Amino acid sequence: MWLRFGVIVPCIWAVGVAAWGIVPWFEIQRWAIGEQRTFQNVMAGALRGIQAGDPQAVWTLCSATAAYGFFHALGPGHGKVLIGGAALASGATLKRLSILTFLSSLAQAATAILLVGGLYFILQIGSADLADLTETWLAPASYAAIAAIGAVLIFRGVRSWHKISQAKQATHGCCSHAHGPSFNDVATLTSTRDAVALIASIAIRPCTGALFVLVIAARFDAFAVGCLAVVTMGLGTAAFNLAVATSGVVARRLAGLVARGHKGMQAISATLHLTGGVLIIAISVGILLSYLD
Amino acid sequence: MSHKFWGLILVTMCLGGTAKAHPHVFVDARTGFIFGTDGQLEALRISWTYDEFTTLILFESLNLDQDGNGQFNDADRAAIIEGETNWDSAYKGDVYLEFAGQDYPLGRPEAAAVTLNNNQVEVSFDLPLSQPVRIDTAPVFLRLYDPFFYFAYTIVPAIDPTDLPEDCQAQIVAFEPNAAESALQNKLAALGREDIPAVENVGRLFSDEVQLTCG
Repeated sequence: MWLRFGVIVPCIWAVGVAAWGIVPWFEIQRWAIGEQRTFQNVMAGALRGIQAGDPQAVWTLCSATAAYGFFHALGPGHGKVLIGGAALASGATLKRLSILTFLSSLAQAATAILLVGGLYFILQIGSADLADLTETWLAPASYAAIAAIGAVLIFRGVRSWHKISQAKQATHGCCSHAHGPSFNDVATLTSTRDAVALIASIAIRPCTGALFVLVIAARFDAFAVGCLAVVTMGLGTAAFNLAVATSGVVARRLAGLVARGHKGMQAISATLHLTGGVLIIAISVGILLSYLD
Repeated sequence: MSHKFWGLILVTMCLGGTAKAHPHVFVDARTGFIFGTDGQLEALRISWTYDEFTTLILFESLNLDQDGNGQFNDADRAAIIEGETNWDSAYKGDVYLEFAGQDYPLGRPEAAAVTLNNNQVEVSFDLPLSQPVRIDTAPVFLRLYDPFFYFAYTIVPAIDPTDLPEDCQAQIVAFEPNAAESALQNKLAALGREDIPAVENVGRLFSDEVQLTCG
């Protein structure tokens, strides 16, 4: 059993590392940051247009925030790592993952609207303090929650490896019938509880860009327009995360092709849990540590 | 294989360190060098031009332009200068001057000014060196970066360049992704298995710089 573990894990990881190595991350990031800057300026122009009463400006603003959400999501955060890792590990269908991705982005937008609606209007807290609150408390909380989900994935992966090897020993002992864990035992994200945890961990932290759009819109007496713009920003983010989720599902399916039979599938699933979990923990803890400095 | 994997994880964590937040604020920075009559470098001139969106945020957070005429009055300018240049001692203004391989200590901003052009706020100020210093053929590097990358600085040529002594040259060297990537990889490759990379200066690998040489 452990021999097979020793073969499958490095193989999956090697393919992942190779795929990672091919992608020109620096160039992509640089390009995305340049695009983000452009859309940020368009957003500013549209917000000034709204202040001046230009009816077209609403549409300009919403298209710009959607594009901003998409390009901004290329940077760290926004649950992309979590979505990708979970897609890799989980047994969820692409349809289910798509819904989760959209819900988590919309929930993130809702957090921004609630924060600004509550704190800015009722408690009169300024935008600088809102951004501070987000960066000091909400962002680390979100990364900690995401890391915890990574830990759960690793725990499930290890547990099912353990069960598989126990089942194997049992098979040697008596019956010809293996009492391994059913595939559902190791499949993640198929329960409502998992889905809620995933959405909540992403939604804890609103995007500061969304907060600023809302606050500026509020200053221009156009909070409703700001809310609409933040929702389209969330949809833009979701569109990018959907691409990540799709890659995760495709990678999982590809890994599944190599598996022979039910037990092979279990072994692959357990390994993918470990892989997804390690990725999520490494990246989220890396970012979390920079907050704790 | 697993060494390489952890190497990649480390790269990711370092990137996480430099980019804990994505950039939200884009700054076009202009730089100048101020020399004394004795030919020593005395101060840096820095200007930050904020993107249009950040300018709107500044209007909101400092409650500027209350009369809505699109112009700053003295109170607006004073509020911006206070917020932008009266920074606490732990913050270095995201300005780093490397002299003989070390960060050269800098003083606090002086002669700050604010303008609003094309819907963008520009803040400029002088940053004196703690001690004037003579520059020779060994290059001095001026870098502007936020270690957390919340602010993304791009160094652009000065509109009204400060006069340099005749034998001195200042050249902007834009950030080049491949160079930074390979520098980071070399840094990581040099690490033993037990070493944890010092993340503190990874930010400078990703920054534009101005190289100053004299003689």
